[in-house]
Amino acid sequence: MSRLRLRFEFWSVVTAMVLVVLAVLLILPILRVLMLSFVDADTGGFTLGNYVEAFTRNYYLNGFKNTLFVGVLGTLGACLLGIPLAYFNARFHIWGRAWISTLAILVLVAPPFIGAYAWIMMLGSNGFITNFFASLGISTPTIYGAHGIILVFTLKFFPFVFLMTQTALNAVSKSFEDAAENLGCTPWQRFRKITLPLVFPAISTGAIICFVLSIADFGTPAILGRGFRTLSTIAFAAYRSELGGLPTMAVTISIIMMAISMLALVAQRRILAKRRYASSLTNLPVKARLTGWRNTGVHVFCHGVVLVAMLPTLVVIYTSFLQTNGPVFTGGFGFESYRRILHDAPQAITNSFLFSLAAVVLITAFSALISYVIVRRENAASGAIDFLMMVPYLVPGVVMAIGFVTTFRSGSFDLVGTTGLLILIYFIRRLPYGVRSTTSSLRQIKPSLEEAAVNLGAPPLKAFLTVTVPLIVPGLIVGSLMSFITAINELSSTLIIYDSGTITMPVKIYLAVLDGEFGLAAALSTVLLLCTGVCVYAVFRLADNRDSAFV
Amino acid sequence: MASVEISALRKLYGDVVALSDINISIPSGSFYTLLGPSGCGKTTLLRTIAGFHRQNSGTIGVEGAPIEDLPAYRRDVGMVFQDYAIFPHLSVRDNVSFGLKQRKVPAGEIARRVGEVLEVVQLGAFADRMPHELSGGQQQRVGLARAIVIEPKVLLMDEPLSNLDAKLRVDLRAELRRIQRELGITTIYVTHDQEEALAMSDIVCVMYKGVIQQASTPLEIYMEPTNRFVAAFVGANNFLAVSRDGTAASLAAGGADVSQALASLAAGIEVVCAIRPETLHVSTGHTAAEPQDIAVPARLREVSFIGREMEVFGTTKAGDEVKAVARPDPQVVALAPGSAITFRAARKDLLFFESGETGGRVA
Repeated sequence: MSRLRLRFEFWSVVTAMVLVVLAVLLILPILRVLMLSFVDADTGGFTLGNYVEAFTRNYYLNGFKNTLFVGVLGTLGACLLGIPLAYFNARFHIWGRAWISTLAILVLVAPPFIGAYAWIMMLGSNGFITNFFASLGISTPTIYGAHGIILVFTLKFFPFVFLMTQTALNAVSKSFEDAAENLGCTPWQRFRKITLPLVFPAISTGAIICFVLSIADFGTPAILGRGFRTLSTIAFAAYRSELGGLPTMAVTISIIMMAISMLALVAQRRILAKRRYASSLTNLPVKARLTGWRNTGVHVFCHGVVLVAMLPTLVVIYTSFLQTNGPVFTGGFGFESYRRILHDAPQAITNSFLFSLAAVVLITAFSALISYVIVRRENAASGAIDFLMMVPYLVPGVVMAIGFVTTFRSGSFDLVGTTGLLILIYFIRRLPYGVRSTTSSLRQIKPSLEEAAVNLGAPPLKAFLTVTVPLIVPGLIVGSLMSFITAINELSSTLIIYDSGTITMPVKIYLAVLDGEFGLAAALSTVLLLCTGVCVYAVFRLADNRDSAFV
Repeated sequence: MASVEISALRKLYGDVVALSDINISIPSGSFYTLLGPSGCGKTTLLRTIAGFHRQNSGTIGVEGAPIEDLPAYRRDVGMVFQDYAIFPHLSVRDNVSFGLKQRKVPAGEIARRVGEVLEVVQLGAFADRMPHELSGGQQQRVGLARAIVIEPKVLLMDEPLSNLDAKLRVDLRAELRRIQRELGITTIYVTHDQEEALAMSDIVCVMYKGVIQQASTPLEIYMEPTNRFVAAFVGANNFLAVSRDGTAASLAAGGADVSQALASLAAGIEVVCAIRPETLHVSTGHTAAEPQDIAVPARLREVSFIGREMEVFGTTKAGDEVKAVARPDPQVVALAPGSAITFRAARKDLLFFESGETGGRVA
């Protein structure tokens, strides 16, 4: 075609702009990290030595093993809680079902590091459960180390497996289970041979999310590790010790973390590729009514799991109202901790809101444009954008932050300032939440509506703003809320980038916990939880399917 | 109100030819229908005129001015969509005034024109309703009002009635035609419903595999199809094998010498004979033909009596399946399958086509 393509030129410009933004903010930092991992810190020349060191020195090898160990066991634990929970909720009448899924969602969105230090307050060396049993002369196992991290991961990440498996179970035609029963299967055989394989894709997707998040998690091993190091804490420590020089070991460890996540995802996709089941949902699953001890047992399990998982959050809120004097709880209730955050950390609060809101404004605008490009324009560029939207899920915060710092700030060269850097990293890391929600909203809008607007004389941008955008507003808002929740709770990448003027609530909480200032940490965490809770409530009111909006 | 000239229009999807060398001339004010089975290219042609697809080559002229390179939003052709495409977040009034606001028409005039057009489509009382409060038929009236209120040069309609139930479809069909006549607006209408096409159009354009098969008045399309595809697609038709031997030609089923009709056709060309079911008469037993008739002997396969008429299905000795629709004859209705019957038709009702899917008319 030799003639200039006039039509839709607006969207070609948008596509190009999006690709440029993603290239600069996503691909460039990752490539920078990748390149640095092959650089010799002393000579600046090419070397494989960093990788040799990472795979030969015990310090790194142990970190590697530890990461896989807590990642795999944490994921396994999440599955052991999540799958039965999903099955019970999907197949039996459970009293308080909405309550269970609400609590599971709250667990999901609560700041990850809160769990870790709340368990310290319960089971740490001076925890109240520890002290209670000590007063009875019983010594309780310590929470520090691998088993504590696995416990926190299990209780933190099971909602992914639960919510995804539950959705899949609700979509398994009852006819399959009836047929199995008709052919002579006992209920257990039926579950194992028919139901479980049918929902395996959903389970494995939930599990892979748990695994990737476990690998990337920084707060939990940093707070509970006590000498038990994972790759994320090693990369962070390496970055801190290499400050001034080239952070080559930090980036090498980062690349290894990313490689683990990606390999896990590729393996899961491989396995799933052979298991695609088409199913028509003509015969909806029916919930059975249990009686007697089975009924009691199932209820105790379901409510028990979500209550235990909520325990850290409740402890944090409770602690925030305890009277303190410095780091010491003096007994009785009061607002001392809240007075202290207003005195000590007003900047953290305003920064957190400022950075997150600024990022969310960008995310909202880009989500609308990107989802239009992905849904309405099927070409190589939109396919590439769709693929790139998966990348931020896979790149641990520590890695992304090191990439950002080494790309946009070196020595006296500082392209956008620390505030700009934080806003941009929140933007790129949380953009997929906005895009995903907006995309699913846009898929429900008939393309003929935009065509009608264009036909009536509206140029592409005008048609987009007057017809498309008003119709995807619910999806945009849900996406913005999700990205806000995840941005304001961001810890690991902030910790690498922030300076004295740009501290945020999660960083302040992390530092307070390290200083043993549990009262201050609890009050700040409660503020964070309140923001998060308000957003979750808004999502509940706006989303079509409240459970699946969060996973 | 404008004439439309399309010449040498081509549209490819990869290697697939969606539109092949389309040439169309539409007189100002006429109702022009694109008719064909799904996948024939009719919707692609309509959307190319609207500017939603871009042609690979060829021109589209409205009132002599080329529009094929204009973006869709500057073509000034109104469009009515199959799925209505009524903006769900805007009231009826705001839907209809959308195009006028786009054209920066003064508010007072918008109010007047929207009021008028809503009267024309009989929705005057619904101006402040939201789309979800309207039935399908009412939504499509809004779609029509929205398209015609901007007084476009050409009105495009993409199967606008196909989502409505049968009764409503017939009512709205008449109303669409009435409004189109009153406004005198040049209209291009896409449908796969031949009855709709024949009932509404000034000109019906039958398309198949991206190629225009015939564009004529409804009566001509039905009575004088120019090729076998049109004869088969518009209305029902029986196709009987013809045996040719030099200058001699007869129906393979027997009962009719058709040498005279095919006298001028070169030898060796294979031919079929088309007979409309409603031109056939059916009698019991095997009887001989009058000179102006043909009489094809057959075995009865099935007869179904549906009240006003009877449908008789028979098989000739050459294996042709023949259907006749005729006034009920108690003697025929009472026959058992396998009985001998004779299909009879006037020679003037026979049409001959070259064999093959789109074989041309030969007599």
